[in-house]
Amino acid sequence: MTFTPVLGLLAVLLLAPALPGIANRVKSALTGRRGAPMLQLYADLWKSWRKGVVYSPTTTILFRLGPVVLVCTALLAAGLLPLDGTTSPIRFTGDLVAFAGLLALGRFMLVLAALDTGSSFEGMGASREVTFAVFAEPALFLCFTVFVVATGDLRLQGMLGQPLAHAWLATAPSLLLGAASLFIVSLAETNRVPIDDPLTHLELTMVHEVMVLDHSGPDLALILYASALKMALFGSLVVRVFVAGAMVSAPMALGLLLSGLVVYAMAVGVVESVMARLRMNHVPQLLVAASATAGFGLILLLR
Amino acid sequence: MIPFASGLGLILLGGLAAYGLDRRPVLADRVFQWIAVAGCLLALAPALSLLFGGGGGIGGPVDPIPAGPDALFGIDLLSAWFLPIVLGVGATIVAYGVPYLGPERGHRRVGLAHLVLAVLLVALSGVVTARTIVAFLASWEVMAVAAWLLVIFEHEKRDTWDAGMVYLVLTHACTLALIGMFAVWQGGHADWRFAQLARSASIGPVATGLVLTLGLVGFGIKAGAFPFHFWLPGAHAAAPSHVSALLSGIMLKVGIYGLCRMLALLGPPPAWWGWIVLLMGLASSVLGVLWALAQHDLKRLLAYHSVENIGIILMGLGLGALGTAYHQPTIALIGVAGALLHTLNHALFKSLLFLGAGVVVRETGHREIDRLGGLGRRIPRTALAFLVGSIAIVGLPPLNGFVSEWLIFRGLLGAGLASGGLRVAVVAAAGLALTGALALACFSKLFGVVFLGTPRDPSAGHRAPAESAFIAPQSVLAACCIVIGVAPGWIAPPVARIAGLILPQPEGGAALGALGSALPLSALAAVLLLLIGLGWSARQWTLARRPQRSSATWGCAYTRATGRMQYTASSYASPLLAAFGPLSGIQQVRTRASFHTRAIEPILDLLARPLWSRVVAAAVRLRPLQAGAMRWYLLYAILCLLGLLLYLQFAGLP
Repeated sequence: MTFTPVLGLLAVLLLAPALPGIANRVKSALTGRRGAPMLQLYADLWKSWRKGVVYSPTTTILFRLGPVVLVCTALLAAGLLPLDGTTSPIRFTGDLVAFAGLLALGRFMLVLAALDTGSSFEGMGASREVTFAVFAEPALFLCFTVFVVATGDLRLQGMLGQPLAHAWLATAPSLLLGAASLFIVSLAETNRVPIDDPLTHLELTMVHEVMVLDHSGPDLALILYASALKMALFGSLVVRVFVAGAMVSAPMALGLLLSGLVVYAMAVGVVESVMARLRMNHVPQLLVAASATAGFGLILLLR
Repeated sequence: MIPFASGLGLILLGGLAAYGLDRRPVLADRVFQWIAVAGCLLALAPALSLLFGGGGGIGGPVDPIPAGPDALFGIDLLSAWFLPIVLGVGATIVAYGVPYLGPERGHRRVGLAHLVLAVLLVALSGVVTARTIVAFLASWEVMAVAAWLLVIFEHEKRDTWDAGMVYLVLTHACTLALIGMFAVWQGGHADWRFAQLARSASIGPVATGLVLTLGLVGFGIKAGAFPFHFWLPGAHAAAPSHVSALLSGIMLKVGIYGLCRMLALLGPPPAWWGWIVLLMGLASSVLGVLWALAQHDLKRLLAYHSVENIGIILMGLGLGALGTAYHQPTIALIGVAGALLHTLNHALFKSLLFLGAGVVVRETGHREIDRLGGLGRRIPRTALAFLVGSIAIVGLPPLNGFVSEWLIFRGLLGAGLASGGLRVAVVAAAGLALTGALALACFSKLFGVVFLGTPRDPSAGHRAPAESAFIAPQSVLAACCIVIGVAPGWIAPPVARIAGLILPQPEGGAALGALGSALPLSALAAVLLLLIGLGWSARQWTLARRPQRSSATWGCAYTRATGRMQYTASSYASPLLAAFGPLSGIQQVRTRASFHTRAIEPILDLLARPLWSRVVAAAVRLRPLQAGAMRWYLLYAILCLLGLLLYLQFAGLP
């Protein structure tokens, strides 16, 4: 029993709020602005946490419960990932389904919290959120299937851990297709360009942001943190696929993962700088294309 | 045997009392409620002791009626799995139905409805315990007709009558297919016992194929699987809500029971049948939930979700058949176990949801989702139960729907690791994921629009009886959903045992091993609930030290928002349905000054009804044959006689 899995979990939980900052910083640099400090989100979280709250008389306990469930499901999902490349703190056969299920529970409760306000804007955001999720979910499962079939393991620990190193030698094209698809899915799941623009200021064009318009104070802090954590989770999935090729010791693998996360955040920032977000009705097409990409990877494995 | 038979007797007695005491409604309601519920629980006892007592098998009835080898009815392990679905869930429905039909007293025959409900429950128990073909078909037919009588309870409404007729036609098509199946299978043998069917399992590949196909059609119609589902949404929406719960939660499961019984008697099916069942399941689940999303009617929406869940169950069964055909015992067992568990789970949460919908109907007097809203404040306990049912049906942790869907996911993903043709089945996992995501969209819409926000139509008044009359049955069902979700370990052994008996595997021990690992889900659920509890306490502790203010929902500086300005269910679902195009079954109706959308039933409205009108048009041409003159009919009789004589002459006497 080593402590690197737990260390990895703690590191990711602590460093997650830096990732959106890195992405935004890259975006600022590439568009010739100075931009906010890289650690801005920590300051925002601290500020929101100390503030008071405003509740609409329309809301019920679900509005208050939503952010808590969102954070807890993301935390537990983080515990299912093999962050040090060898062991997940929580692992069992078929835990990849639990990973997706937990994040879906978080989304369900956040969407209900949004609808609890009775606001048209939040209903609109919730509608978009679930619409995009419908197309992201099969793509995510097809990516998972690629890694399951490539490694022969039904646990996240195996399909993203050491067995993947051998799979890179035998089935690299499939894994590349799977990873490319997973990157697109990660942008959708974490509400980044080209699916959603986290920096937009017009309610009518928002997706995730408009769902949380009414949350304030500690509730908002929880939601902001959960978003950052989700970015770290999906970033870890993508990064693990690539760094699994390097057969190194657990502490080294953890270091690789953390530096990989920085690269992932920079890549997200680059994507945000070079392209605009898609029209809303084109987002499903992008995600279906991601499914098709992973599907091709799967066909290469199954032939 | 005594408890089972006397329990069923008590249910009937309760029904008769409700009918006989119609003039004294308070007494009739009490007597029916208590006696019938007691009868359900009493009849349940032998099944439960068989399930959890270990031992027992499939085939040899443990409790034959009448005693001896010629038993017509008897409980074996497979019956014991379905009896709690029929009688356990049935008890909650009986308890709920009494207050639900209360307001109808005076202008409808409520006592008769209770009697028919009792008959229906007994017939359903008969179907799952029948040991001979005749007992099975007789119970089946009583069940079908009793269900029809309950569907047309509000028969003066045109939609209700129409839906009842579609159901009646389809249920008889189903019985016809089953009679055909038994005829081919039994092959003119004098022995009509199921045991004989098991012995005549080696009837040749063609006959086996025919039996499997007819069985799939017959039981598929009853289960409401695509493409035979089109009777279901109309009938389930038209019936009184407790009957909808019974039809969706229990009666559809009889179709699944039939498939399981057929497999257990016939032996492992060939691979092509497994592929067909898997594809049927995939189509049912994806299309069922997509069409549910398009619905504007609360109960029609729930009914379409039954199509979806039957699809998930069929995916598990198909995987079981495929795993057996491709010699992958673990995958086969996980598939069948997932299907069996999902059958129970769906019975629990779908009944729960229909009971909740019934309270909404009694509270507001209508079922239009877009006119509801903010009911969470008026009926908070129903809202909570409905939330539990919603989380369960979407298949989210930590509730029971997640456990069975997790099993089926595991089987499908495991298929990808197998060798040979079975590997392709892994793609169905993506289909199941799509289904889950669509269900999330659908139930966030339903729960959010109906129970959250503010009322969209404040005119809908308060109706009797009060919510409290309906709480106990909903609480029992919700508690079952939670218990199976949080602690699936205790239900895994009987599921594994029965799955191994339906499709016997060379390595039976693998089943328990595979299902034993359902235990991590308990740990996961426990950790999740603990985390949420801790997070909630931390939040409460923090907020106690922060100022709290109340202010209207932020409306982009617009301060005169009304309930009708909230996002509607139609708008909520619109981008998703638009993405699926014509597949979504939404029709736009435009006039110069108005616009609305209508959810059609694609198979019924685009295929079945046009086909039926063609048949009618063709039949009209035969009308001259029925001229009404006696001499023509005599001529037909003589011609028929001559034909039979010629047949005897050329085909030879037996």
